[in-house]
Amino acid sequence: MQTTSLLVRKRIAALFFLFTVGFFMLVGRIFWVQFVKGADLSAKATQNRMRDVPVESKRGVIYDRNHRELAISISTDSVYAIPAEVLRSNRQEEIAKKLAATLEMDQDKIYARITRRSSFEWVKRQIDPATAQKIRAMDLPGIDLTEESRRFYPKGTLASHVLGISGTDNTGLEGIDNYYNKLVGGTKGRIIIEHDATGADIPEAMHKYIPPVDGANLILSLDETIQYITERELDKAFKERQAARAAAIVMDPKTGEILAITSRPTFDPNHYNDSPAQNRRNFAINDAFEPGSTMKITTAAMAMEENIVNEQSRFYCPGHIKVGKETISCAGGKAHGEQTFAQIVEKSCNVGFVQLGLELGIDKYYQYLNAFGFGRATGIDLPGEAQGITVPKSRCKQIDLATMAFGQANAVTPIQLVTAVSAVANGGNLMKPHLVKEIVDSQGKIVQKFEPEVVRRVISEKTARDLCVILEGEVTLGTGKNAFIEGYRVGGKTGTAQKIKPGGGYMANEYVSSFIGLAPSDNPRLVCLIVVDAPKGYPYYGGTVAAPAAREILKDALHYLDEPLRTDPNKAASEAKPDNAVLVPDLVNLPLNEALASLNRRGLNAKVEGSGDLVWQQTPRAQSKLNKGSQVIIYLSPFSKDKEGGEVTVPDLQGKSLKEVAKILADLGLHLSPEGYGLSCDQSPRPGKVVSSGSNIKVKFQPIDR
Amino acid sequence: MNIKRLKFIDKTFIVAIVLIITLGLVVLLSASSAICNDSFYYVKKQILWLAAGTFLAVLIIRYDYTQLERYWKYIYGISVIILVTVLVFGKEVRGTTGWIAIGPLPMIQPAEFTKILLILAFADFLARRKGALDTLGEMLPCFIFMGVPFLLIMAQPDLGTALVYIAFTLGMMFVAGANWRILLKIIGAAVGVIALALFLHFQFGTWLPLDDYQIDRLIVFADPYNDGKGGRGAGWNTIQSLVAIGSGGLTGKGLFHGTQVQLNFLPEHHTDFIYAVIGEELGFIGAALVIVLYGIILWRTVVISFNAQDLYGSYLVLGISAMWLFHIFENIGMSIGVMPITGIPLPFLSYGGSAMITNMIAVGLVLSVNIRGKKIVF
Repeated sequence: MQTTSLLVRKRIAALFFLFTVGFFMLVGRIFWVQFVKGADLSAKATQNRMRDVPVESKRGVIYDRNHRELAISISTDSVYAIPAEVLRSNRQEEIAKKLAATLEMDQDKIYARITRRSSFEWVKRQIDPATAQKIRAMDLPGIDLTEESRRFYPKGTLASHVLGISGTDNTGLEGIDNYYNKLVGGTKGRIIIEHDATGADIPEAMHKYIPPVDGANLILSLDETIQYITERELDKAFKERQAARAAAIVMDPKTGEILAITSRPTFDPNHYNDSPAQNRRNFAINDAFEPGSTMKITTAAMAMEENIVNEQSRFYCPGHIKVGKETISCAGGKAHGEQTFAQIVEKSCNVGFVQLGLELGIDKYYQYLNAFGFGRATGIDLPGEAQGITVPKSRCKQIDLATMAFGQANAVTPIQLVTAVSAVANGGNLMKPHLVKEIVDSQGKIVQKFEPEVVRRVISEKTARDLCVILEGEVTLGTGKNAFIEGYRVGGKTGTAQKIKPGGGYMANEYVSSFIGLAPSDNPRLVCLIVVDAPKGYPYYGGTVAAPAAREILKDALHYLDEPLRTDPNKAASEAKPDNAVLVPDLVNLPLNEALASLNRRGLNAKVEGSGDLVWQQTPRAQSKLNKGSQVIIYLSPFSKDKEGGEVTVPDLQGKSLKEVAKILADLGLHLSPEGYGLSCDQSPRPGKVVSSGSNIKVKFQPIDR
Repeated sequence: MNIKRLKFIDKTFIVAIVLIITLGLVVLLSASSAICNDSFYYVKKQILWLAAGTFLAVLIIRYDYTQLERYWKYIYGISVIILVTVLVFGKEVRGTTGWIAIGPLPMIQPAEFTKILLILAFADFLARRKGALDTLGEMLPCFIFMGVPFLLIMAQPDLGTALVYIAFTLGMMFVAGANWRILLKIIGAAVGVIALALFLHFQFGTWLPLDDYQIDRLIVFADPYNDGKGGRGAGWNTIQSLVAIGSGGLTGKGLFHGTQVQLNFLPEHHTDFIYAVIGEELGFIGAALVIVLYGIILWRTVVISFNAQDLYGSYLVLGISAMWLFHIFENIGMSIGVMPITGIPLPFLSYGGSAMITNMIAVGLVLSVNIRGKKIVF
């Protein structure tokens, strides 16, 4: 083909068209790079040249309600490397060697870290001040220190489940530290250093210090003293009975504030790796259990609110009741005979409660069960709260209703139970339980304040008041009498539930013993729940395992709270036993004259041993029943030198119960330090040895094997 | 020379050239001021090359390009001799032996100059054939004619410049009326063979006539982070260039304030990656302005080619146009990640004496054809 200039021109035009298309594509691509991906790429440009050294914020302090420190932050130094600078110095081998020696780490590991292709590497975090000083003095190129904060728990195990733990990178891992992590953690600060492509700092370039914002402080509703009392008592019950686990909660029923909450086993958050991880599980809120009779409080409240019962109601208990094909028995198959409503509560009569439950009916029962907050998280400010398990209403049969009414079939968390009973204690309002009263920033400004929050009204004030009176009767007259406190009116309910076998059904000899108490019962300030799971030995009843702990907690807490004594002790005692018997008061640590006056008021005689001003021990123990005119021995300081017959022979104590041993030793003026439970099997010093009066006799007790 | 003809000179073309050179000097100052102590070192040298190139261009404009037709055999022969000389005596700089030192003069890249010489020779070669490019057989002489210098450049090896040769060869042949179906088939076959060779290489490890670094560049073209070093190896240039352009935004970070450039994250920023400097420091506005100016320059060359008084002039200008076009596409394309990296400069913007002088000679040739062309306005 002959090339003509026309053809050439056509071809030129075609080619030009292609140019144009190509140019538009280029512009399009540039547009895309700059505007669609622009933000990403800009960030990358910044990241390219900015080296960040993190400056950790200090975690806020966790205080109890009286501003006593429960968890604080202490500063520690952490070593970091800027690999580019290390490499530029060309001394990486030497640096790694020196660091390895000082930090007691593997040299190769350090070498790998300080030469890694990154702009920032931690070498070792949270080292002690002496090591930090050494590293600072070495002044190695590319190696520097930054301040980090670490949690310290000055009270050790106290409230450990609430406080939780926090990790090296300043985050709350568990507990309240985790729940309020964002606020307590504050905001990390940064030192930004601009550098060029070779990694060299640019002297006059951007050197920005963004200061960290320290975390906010938490002021908990916990009271350190009450927490301490609660832990002490729960510890005793837990250890003495070698239980699988235990929980205790003390709540202010009017506000929903948790004053004390603890679980066993426990751990020290300062050294949390020393205990198995399951010790960190907070039974009080993370796990559900079948409560047994303590749950009867709610059934009683429902029946009263629905006017199914009144003071005139009479129940007959033949010891068992048939529901459909099943037979439900009272504890031990004991027939309670004819009873009033108050009596079925006091005696914890299953048959009576089954009747109440069946009369309420499924609809009403569930309506109240939900209103009391069961089967749903209470919303307490701790992570991992369990919801509990209730029998689904759609599948609920008469037998389920019957068993639920006396506390079986449903599993509840301790916090749910204490919240529900608090509603009875405070006049009928279900409160939202909470642990934090205030969040205050590092400057002291209040960030957030938590006011008491009423979830809903569950029962009327009258029902609530009347039920409190009945619960008081349960303590003075019924199964909960071990919770009786002289000088205070205490209401409560015991619970002894057989544990469910993993495969279904109930285990023959494993129990969950519980007690829930409220005091003072005419105007409750405290509601206290003790749950002891699988106590060993006999008796395993809530009244014997849990009630004494609750009594001690309530007594000491009420003392501490300066709650005035309400009832005349004489009157209370004579009400309790209209006959000749009186309860022995707790005289320990009272001044001698007060102790004598107290005994006098009850018509008891005193025998004083030893000398001094304070009562050191007494026999029989407090709460023992004695006939009027009996003798109570009061021991004063046992270490008195002028006591006549300063020496005694240690008796043989083999095979005796704690009570017997205590009495024998007390008579001899010797101090007993018991260990274990059951019958005595070993003692120190050995029998026949002559010791000075007031010496300690260690006695080991062992459960009787059957 | 007929002075009157100067009034037909394409002023738009000249203005666009002046603007882009000016812009180039400003950006070069920003890009190179931190490289050595004298912040004007590179700019001064570039101006020197520019002056030399302008001087040559003026001489060329005055010279009637049609006179060159007679010497095509010599021009061709000299080109081949130069390329062979480079192969034998060339200095190796960054993997290629494309540089040659003549006495005390600065080192030059002869392949830059031979581009122009070969365009001149090939334009004449095509014009003499008066078409006759309808069959593969008829095209074969063209391929042999251009194949010799192409292979010599491949042997340096300088893949980028070799591709420029292919671009203007095919462009000129197309304009000269070559059977475009056959041209497409040849391009298609070449792409197919290359794709197959690459596939076989990556799947079965067969041999490729490429150095390792060239293969790496192809791998990172697909994914710049896949360089075995997380984007710090062969992919680094592409990534940093994209980051530079992408972080420029609409108006850029301002001259002397591009962090990618000034802190040396962007390599070769005064030469091959000058476009990324423009993208980062002058933003989309600067980047688009450059493309618009190139568009104007190419449009005017096409118009000049269109209006040339003879086919030789048309082919000559079109060859230059195709050469610039390929440089622009390849250089900008690699800066924005749509082309694999080859070290060919951006005309009038990249720092470099050989390229600047070559481009100014090309400008002279275009204008020489321009003022002797037909007086038709496109």
